[in-house]
Amino acid sequence: MMAIREQFSKTKNFNLISLGLMGVGLLSIIILFITHGASGDHRMQARFWASLLQNSVYFLLVTNAAMFFIAATTLAWGGWQVSFRRVSEAISSCVPVLSITTGIILLAIVLSDNHTIYHWTDTEHVKHDKILLHKAGFLNKGFFIVWTIITLVGWNLLGAKLRQLSRKIDDRPLDNAGAKKYIWDNTVWAAIFIVFFSLTVMSSIPWLWLMSIDAHWYSTMYSWYTFASSFVAGIALITIFVIYLKNLGYLEFTNEEHLHDLGKFMFAFSVFWTYLWFSQFMLIWYANIPEETTYFEPRVEGAWNGIFWLTVIINFLAPLLILMSRGAKRNYGTLTFMCILILFGHWMDFYQMVFPGPMKDPETSVSHVPMMLADLGIGLGFVGLIMFFTARALANAPLIAKNHPFLKESLIHHT
Amino acid sequence: MSLLRYESQVRPPLVEGHKDYHQITEDICRPVEAAPSLLWWIGFGISVILLLFGVFSVYMEVTYGVGQWNLNKTIGWGWDITNFVWWVGIGHAGTLISAILLLFRQGWRTGVNRAAEAMTIFAVMCAGQFPIWHMGRVWMAFFVMPYPNTRGPLWVNFNSPLLWDVFAISTYFTVSLLFWYSGLLPDLATLRDRARKKWRKHMYGVLSFGWTGSTKHWQRHESLSLVLAGLATPLVLSVHTIVSFDFATSVVPGWHTTIFPPYFVAGAIFSGFAMVQTLLLVTRKVLNLQEYITIEHIEVMNKVIILTGSIVGIAYLTELFMAWYSAVQYEEFAFFENRANILSPYGWAYYIMMSCNVVFPQIFWFRKMRRNLYVTFFLSILVNIGMWFERFVIIVTSVYRDYLPSAWSTYYTPTIWEVGFFLGTFGLFFTCYFLFSKFFPVIAIAEIKHILKKNGESYKENMDEIEKVSVEEFADHHVDKHH
Amino acid sequence: MSVKKFIVTSFDDEEILFPAIRQVRKSGYKIHDVYTPFPIHGLDKAMGLRDTSLHTAGFVYAIMGTATALAFMTWIFTTDWPMNIGGKPHFALPAWIPITFELTVLFSAVGMVLTFCYLCQLAPFVKKDHFRLRSTDDLFVMAIECTTKTNEEQAIAFLAQLGGKDITVEMKETEWWLGRYDKDDRHTLIKTEPEIIH
Repeated sequence: MMAIREQFSKTKNFNLISLGLMGVGLLSIIILFITHGASGDHRMQARFWASLLQNSVYFLLVTNAAMFFIAATTLAWGGWQVSFRRVSEAISSCVPVLSITTGIILLAIVLSDNHTIYHWTDTEHVKHDKILLHKAGFLNKGFFIVWTIITLVGWNLLGAKLRQLSRKIDDRPLDNAGAKKYIWDNTVWAAIFIVFFSLTVMSSIPWLWLMSIDAHWYSTMYSWYTFASSFVAGIALITIFVIYLKNLGYLEFTNEEHLHDLGKFMFAFSVFWTYLWFSQFMLIWYANIPEETTYFEPRVEGAWNGIFWLTVIINFLAPLLILMSRGAKRNYGTLTFMCILILFGHWMDFYQMVFPGPMKDPETSVSHVPMMLADLGIGLGFVGLIMFFTARALANAPLIAKNHPFLKESLIHHT
Repeated sequence: MSLLRYESQVRPPLVEGHKDYHQITEDICRPVEAAPSLLWWIGFGISVILLLFGVFSVYMEVTYGVGQWNLNKTIGWGWDITNFVWWVGIGHAGTLISAILLLFRQGWRTGVNRAAEAMTIFAVMCAGQFPIWHMGRVWMAFFVMPYPNTRGPLWVNFNSPLLWDVFAISTYFTVSLLFWYSGLLPDLATLRDRARKKWRKHMYGVLSFGWTGSTKHWQRHESLSLVLAGLATPLVLSVHTIVSFDFATSVVPGWHTTIFPPYFVAGAIFSGFAMVQTLLLVTRKVLNLQEYITIEHIEVMNKVIILTGSIVGIAYLTELFMAWYSAVQYEEFAFFENRANILSPYGWAYYIMMSCNVVFPQIFWFRKMRRNLYVTFFLSILVNIGMWFERFVIIVTSVYRDYLPSAWSTYYTPTIWEVGFFLGTFGLFFTCYFLFSKFFPVIAIAEIKHILKKNGESYKENMDEIEKVSVEEFADHHVDKHH
Repeated sequence: MSVKKFIVTSFDDEEILFPAIRQVRKSGYKIHDVYTPFPIHGLDKAMGLRDTSLHTAGFVYAIMGTATALAFMTWIFTTDWPMNIGGKPHFALPAWIPITFELTVLFSAVGMVLTFCYLCQLAPFVKKDHFRLRSTDDLFVMAIECTTKTNEEQAIAFLAQLGGKDITVEMKETEWWLGRYDKDDRHTLIKTEPEIIH
C-alpha cells in the first residue's frame, strides 16, 4: 500500500529562512522609516508609506488569488488540481494576517494629514479641485474605510468557508450520493466567492486602493488588469510551494503532469496580462487625450521608462519564450526560476502602478525613481511572512484532500 | 491494468444510451445518408428566399449608392456596423468551444464542436458582407490590400483599426476554416467508406483527401489540432478585440474606453453560445441526437452563458461608474442622457439591452432552469436580441447626439434595404447551415469515439467498484506506472 | 508505385490491441501500420513511432509571419512613404501589433496545415489503398509487412492467438495515386485473390 505523508512539518532551514526574511523586512521598514518615514517633509514620508502600501496590497491580492484559483476550478468542476489543492488553501490562509496589515496601513494613510498618496483625502484641496470635488461621492474617507472593511471581512469569511468545506470530509469518506451533494455545496459557495470577488477585486477595490493614487486619471480596464497581474503571480506562488513540497518528498500524488498544467496557466495568463496591458496602453496612446496620457507620461517618457518596459520584458517576453516548450513546463528548475521571475515581475508591475504618483515633485511635475533596495527588503519581509503562515496552515491540515470525489482523477491526470 | 480512462461518477455521462463505436457511426451518419426530409426542404427554401432578398437589397445599395440606407451626419455607422459586430461576435463561440475547451480538456465539447465551428465559419461569412458592401464603391474593395501599385505606390493605412479588421477577419475566417476542415477529414473518410451510392463515394472520396486512419497520421493530426487550438485561442481574443478597437481608438465619448477589448470578447462568447444553443436545440431534436447533445451539454453551455453574461454586466456597471467618475461632461452625457435615460430617444434600446443581457439570463442561476429546454431556447433568442441592441446602443447613442446640438439627429430608422441586407445574412447563414447539416456530420464522430470509454454511459456504470476503493489502493493497483 | 504483401488483421477493442502490438514487435514482425477510427493515446509510443515535429514547423512559420509583418510595415511607414497620420510617429509600433499578431497566426496555421497535408500525403483526389473499410468505423486494423523470412501460416496463427480477427494475406499498393473512390482503379495488376484464413 502506498504510504502518503499527510502531515507536513516545517524544516529548521525553512523556519530560519522565513524568520530571516521577516527580519530583513522589519529592518528595511525601520531603515526606511528613519530615512524617510520620520521626516517632516510630506513627500519623504509618502515614499515610506507608498512602499508599505504597494507591498501589502500586492501580497494580499496575490494570496487572495490563491483562493480565487480554488473557487474558479471548483466552479468549473476541475479535477486535476485536487491533489495539491491543500497548498492553494494554505496560501490563502495568509489572507487574514495580510488583511490586518493592509487594513492598518490603508487606514493610516487615509486618516493621516499627509495627502501625497491620496490627494482626495485633503478636504481643503478637494474644495478647490473641480474634478476631485465631483468624485467626492466615491473618493471619500468614509466610503473608503467602510468598503475596505466589508471587502476584507468578505474575503476572509468566504475563504474560510471554502477551506472549512474542504476539510469537512477528511475523516468522512463519501458515497455516491454524498459525493454529488458535496460537489454541489462546494460549487454554490465557490460561486458566491466569485461574485463577491468580481464586485471587489475585479472592480471597486483597485479603483479605491490603487487607481485613486492618480486621482484625476481613470481607466475602465484598470481593475481587470490588476486582477490579471495578481492572478498570474498567485499561480506562480502556488507552483513554487508545490515544487518545494515535492522536493521534500510530500505530495506523492502530484507529478510533472500537474506542474505542466500549472506552467501552462503561467504561460497563458502571462499572455492574458500582456493583452490587458497592451489594450490599456495602446488605446490611451492612440487617442492621445491629455487627461489620459498624463498617467503614462512619467512611465513612458519620464524616469520610470526603464522599469515600465522591464516589467513587460519580465512579465511577457520571458514567460512567452521560456515557458513555450513542453519540456520547460515539466522541468522543476525552469519552473522554479520562472515562478520567482513572475512574482518579482508583477511586484515591479505594482511598483510602477503605485509609486510614480507620490514620487512626483509638485513644482517640477517630474517623478523620479527612488532607491528600490528598501522596498525590495520590505517585499522580502512579506515573502517571509507568507512562508511562515503558509507553512503553519500546511501543518494544520492533512496535505491531501483524501476523500475528495475528484482526487482519483487528479491521480491519473496527464496532459 | 492501465486506468487512464477513469472519471468520477459524480460527473454525468456525456454519451447516453449505452453506445458502442459502431452505433455512434450509425447514429451520426444516418441523417447525412438519408434523403432530405420535408422539414429540411421547407427550412432550406425559406433560407434561400431570405438570401435572395438580401442579394436584391445589396444590389439596390450597390447600384444606387449608400444613400439607400439612412446613414447620415452624424450617424455614420448604423445597422451596417451593428450587424457586422453582431455576426462576428456570434462566430466566437465555435472557436472557443473547439480551441479553448480543447486546451482545457473538456470532454463535453465533442458533442457540440463540429456544429459550433461550422456556425463560426458561416457567421464570419455573414459578418464579412457588411464591411465589404458598406464601402459603396465595392469594385474598389481591393484598395484595402497592401499590394505594389502605380499610385505611388500608395499603401494602406496600417495605423487604422479598420484595416486591422481586414487582417483580423480574413485570418479568423481562414484559420477557423482550416481548423474545422482538418477535424472533418477523418469523419469524411468514415462517410466515404460507408457510402454505397457512387456519387457519395466520389464526393466524400475527394473531400476526405485520402485519409486512412494511419497511426502516424493521427499522431500528426493530434499535434496539429493542439497547436491550432493554441493559435486559435489568442486569435479568438484578438479578433473581437480588434473589432472593439474600431470604437475604442476613437475619441468619441462612449466609444473610447479601455475595457472594450475584454468586454467585447466576453460579449462575443456570450452571444455565440446563445446562438449555439438556438441551433443545437433544434438540430438535436430533428436529427435525433439527444444522446450525444445531452441535457448536460445544454446545462454546461448555459453556465457559460451566465458566466459571460455576468462579465458583460460587470463591464456595463464599470462603464457607467467610470463615465461618472471621469468628471468628463461628455462621457456623462453619453451614458446618463443618451443611454440610461429611458425617456431619451434611444433609452428604450438601452433597457432592452440591459434586461436581455443582464437581467433575464440570471434565471440560469437555478439548476432547473438551466436544464429546461424551452427556457433555454427562449433565453438564447433573448440574449441574441440583447446583444444586437448592445452594439446598436454603443454605435448609435454615442453619435446621434454629440458635441454640436444643431447637428443632433433625432431618429435613425433603417430603410427596407438595410433590413433586407440583414435578413439576407440570416438567409446566407441558414442556407449554409442546412447544407452543412445535410452533407456533413454535425457531431465530430471520431472525437465522440475518443471519449466513449471514459464518458459513455456503459463505461461509467462499470466504474462502481473503482469508486468505492480508497485512494491509496487506487494509486497502487489502478494506475499504470509505466505510462 | 510499390505493391507489397501484407498480413492484415483486425481487433475490435483497443484493450486487446496494445498488448498485441507489443507482442508482434517483440516477435520481430514489421508492422507496416495500424489503422484506427479515432486517435488512441499512447498508440504511437507503443508502435515505436518517433514524435512529430509539426509544432516546431508551426513555430518557425509563426516567426516568419511576425518578421514579415513588422519588416513590411516598418519599411512602408519609415522609408517608402512616411506620412503624418493623426500625429503618430512614423514608427508607430503599438498600432502595428494587431496586424503583426494576425499575420503570425495566419502564417503558422496555414503553414502547418499545408505541411500536415504534405507529410500525410493528403489532398483532394488523392487515393490510397484501404485494408478494411471498417477501420474508419469501429475496427482497429493492423497490417504486417511480409518479408521473405515471414512464415505466413505461423504469423496468422500467432495473430489469431493474440485476439486478431478476420486475418487475410493481401497485396496492397503502399503509395498514393490520383483517383476516384467510386472507381476501382487500383494500380496493382496482381490477380491473386486474398487468402482469407479466419
